[in-house]
Amino acid sequence: MNWAIGLVMFVGAVGLSVIGIAGMLMSNHLFRMVLALAVAEAGANLLLILAGYRWDAAAPILLPGHSTQAMVDPVPQAMVLTAIVIGVGVQALALSLVIRVRQHYATLDMRVARQRMQDALDQAAGVVPPRSQEGPAGERPLPAPTRTIEAGGPHD
Amino acid sequence: MRNIATLLLLGGLSFLLLVITGGLLFGNPPMLIGQGIQQAAPTEVGAANIVTAVVLGYRGLDTLGELSILFAAATAGGLVLGSTRGRSGRPGGFILRTGVDLLFPLMLVAGLYVVMHGHLTPGGGFQGGVILAAAFFLPLLARPQESLDHTWLSVIEALAGSAFIALGLAALFEGRAFLTPLFDHGVLGALVSSGSLPLLYLAVGLKVGAELASLLVRLSADDEGAS
Amino acid sequence: MTDVTLAVVLPLLGAFLLPLTAHRGLHWLGMLLGPALLALAALLLFATWTAFESPYAIALGGFAPPLGITFYVDLLGLLFALAVPLTSLLLWPGGSDEAAIRQQSLTLLLAAALTGMALSGDLFNLYVFYELAAVASYGLAASSATGPAFVAAFRFLLISALGSVVTLLGIALIYFKTGTLNLAHLATLSERLADPQGLAAFAMLLIGFGVKAELFPVNAWVPEVYAATGKRVAALLAGLASKLAVLAVVRILLLVFPHDEARQLLLLLGTLGVLSGELAAWQARDVTRMLAWSSIGQLGVVLVAFSLPGKAGLIAGVTVAMHHLVVKSALFLLADRWGGAVDRLKGAATASPLGAALFVLFALSLLGLPPLPGFWSKYLVLSGLAEAGSGMQHLALGVILLGTVIEGGYLLRIITRLYAAPERDIVPPAHRFPNLFASGLLALLLVAGAILIDPLWQGLNTLAASATDTQVYVQTVLGGKGITR
Repeated sequence: MNWAIGLVMFVGAVGLSVIGIAGMLMSNHLFRMVLALAVAEAGANLLLILAGYRWDAAAPILLPGHSTQAMVDPVPQAMVLTAIVIGVGVQALALSLVIRVRQHYATLDMRVARQRMQDALDQAAGVVPPRSQEGPAGERPLPAPTRTIEAGGPHD
Repeated sequence: MRNIATLLLLGGLSFLLLVITGGLLFGNPPMLIGQGIQQAAPTEVGAANIVTAVVLGYRGLDTLGELSILFAAATAGGLVLGSTRGRSGRPGGFILRTGVDLLFPLMLVAGLYVVMHGHLTPGGGFQGGVILAAAFFLPLLARPQESLDHTWLSVIEALAGSAFIALGLAALFEGRAFLTPLFDHGVLGALVSSGSLPLLYLAVGLKVGAELASLLVRLSADDEGAS
Repeated sequence: MTDVTLAVVLPLLGAFLLPLTAHRGLHWLGMLLGPALLALAALLLFATWTAFESPYAIALGGFAPPLGITFYVDLLGLLFALAVPLTSLLLWPGGSDEAAIRQQSLTLLLAAALTGMALSGDLFNLYVFYELAAVASYGLAASSATGPAFVAAFRFLLISALGSVVTLLGIALIYFKTGTLNLAHLATLSERLADPQGLAAFAMLLIGFGVKAELFPVNAWVPEVYAATGKRVAALLAGLASKLAVLAVVRILLLVFPHDEARQLLLLLGTLGVLSGELAAWQARDVTRMLAWSSIGQLGVVLVAFSLPGKAGLIAGVTVAMHHLVVKSALFLLADRWGGAVDRLKGAATASPLGAALFVLFALSLLGLPPLPGFWSKYLVLSGLAEAGSGMQHLALGVILLGTVIEGGYLLRIITRLYAAPERDIVPPAHRFPNLFASGLLALLLVAGAILIDPLWQGLNTLAASATDTQVYVQTVLGGKGITR
């Protein structure tokens, strides 16, 4: 029975990390990439918590009268607390960058935003991008950011 | 095509990770430092909650680093979003406004309680700080026009963070290592116990609360006309 | 009061207090606070350096070593730690408006985090400081507040956050197998990690810390960020931050994973970095991105050097890393006004003869022209590779030589433009004085390195001898001899 619980836990931790990592690599939607990051972090934190788990052990808090009981390893719990707070900070910063990217390029699609960035960098550097010889891509003026523009379809 | 590639990646990655984690021992950790900390913590630190002893005592520098990371995120968020943005939106309805007014003092008390009992029960500066941040953010949902005073937030941010460092430096000036817990341990399990840990957690709670509140306010503000 | 923890804590305190100076009439204090604290940190580290006798450990919080976090003070750590406040002082962003104060605050946080990475002797503490450095650099990358900077910073954040998740998984694996985090304690348990799981954990840590070290598969952010942000920030990230990330990898490699497979992995990724970086730099047509890609190539050489076993590898690695720190910071400073297309640089030497001369000096040292330190650093790596002898090392040797040839090609392309006749009387802009001054100082350092090659060699030998001796590290930390308090 114990090995089954262990298997479920490991599958959960690995599954969350893999789903998150795949989401970050595969998605092109800025906001979904941030969500995928949150999922991946949850997976890593779960694995870290599992590293300190002991069968038949209590939470690492000393209560009067229970001082002899076995307790789980407190160190991974402290590490996970740290990792969660770090994750919150990073995600908040990521969201503020998403807000700014959307205001500047009126898109939430990473491919479009990246293309615009490359064009802007090429232009600032005075390098003619190779693809502009084939077509006028990237030469359009940027549309003003408005509420109606929604980048990335629902199935993107 | 894209879906198949995704599936292949997902499958490969999870297979690899499962093989790696499959051989791990679950439920019987080596606990080389965990065991030592469990035995030494009650006498060395005197906190009933051993996780707190680890967070503020044994790994206190990590906690300082973590506070700095939150501060860095808030500062970088301020740099990215700027702080001169206006707020707009309709005020909330009667129920929302009354509910927020009722909840605000309760959340304040709950947050402070969680912060002050961090060395005895599950909870502490981070958890309590988040409750405090939510308490100060809720009124903004009900009355979007009223803005939180950024000056006060940044003063609390700066002073709470400096207080944490000052408590660490006080030990250094006494000739001990940085962040050595100060004062007597007191009685294990009493509210006033485990030396300077409650003070450290108070600093953490205020810092986290101010940091998260300013991040939330910045993220919820909107620019003139846009979005 | 010469506790080196102050070198980490004082910049942190300064970063916390700096925003307060924005509100009141305290601008003068704000202008002084950051540089003063960095100078103090540098003085403190320098005093520790001169008074250094033997390695010692500091038990933070006063808890006995395997339980609490330790700082480990040896010559290797002190050298890199000393480089942090000095370089950040040289690349200090001035100004006293709100955005400038935030940027200075982030620079202080970055300096504190990097100093911490140089000194820390704890795996998870290394991760925390690494994350602090990473978050501060996201902010700095976005500090120019333009559209491209926001996109570049977001991509940097995502790649780096992916690396952090992978690092956390690696730390969890190590904790599963050993139940400890102290590097010295892990060094005594390194046999437990000498299996495929251990190697996987090392690969995960390498990918995670490698993001800032511009390691081969996770360096896509480099050219965009350096092109989109201010050149002082680019110099800080390419010159300084990458070196400290490399140092973290080296500490982990030396202490926790002294296995051949781990070294092979580092060698492989380093070689791929050299090849891909130099080829992409050849393709680049503007100076900034050329320098960015070439810095990927040179960090590849650094990683290859550190993958060599024993004292020779460490000496070669430290030399290449320090040389790259000086040269790449200076080149980015000089690229501040000359960052555009290479063709725009025609006649730049007439506008700024000193700037052009400095550029040539740094470029030649980067290539490895004999009297300059760059030659010795490359020579050490190549001779080390030739001696180490297996097929992999010879391949890396060939790749580095090929990389040098490519490097010569694109650097000469810039230099010939600098001294060409200006086109249609359009003269490229001259340098701003602070940048010229800072790169001039770095040039003096470079020339001093060329002249003082003998004492430097002696110093490097003692440094490497103590840094590669794992036994000394373990006994100092766990034996209780070298612990202060």
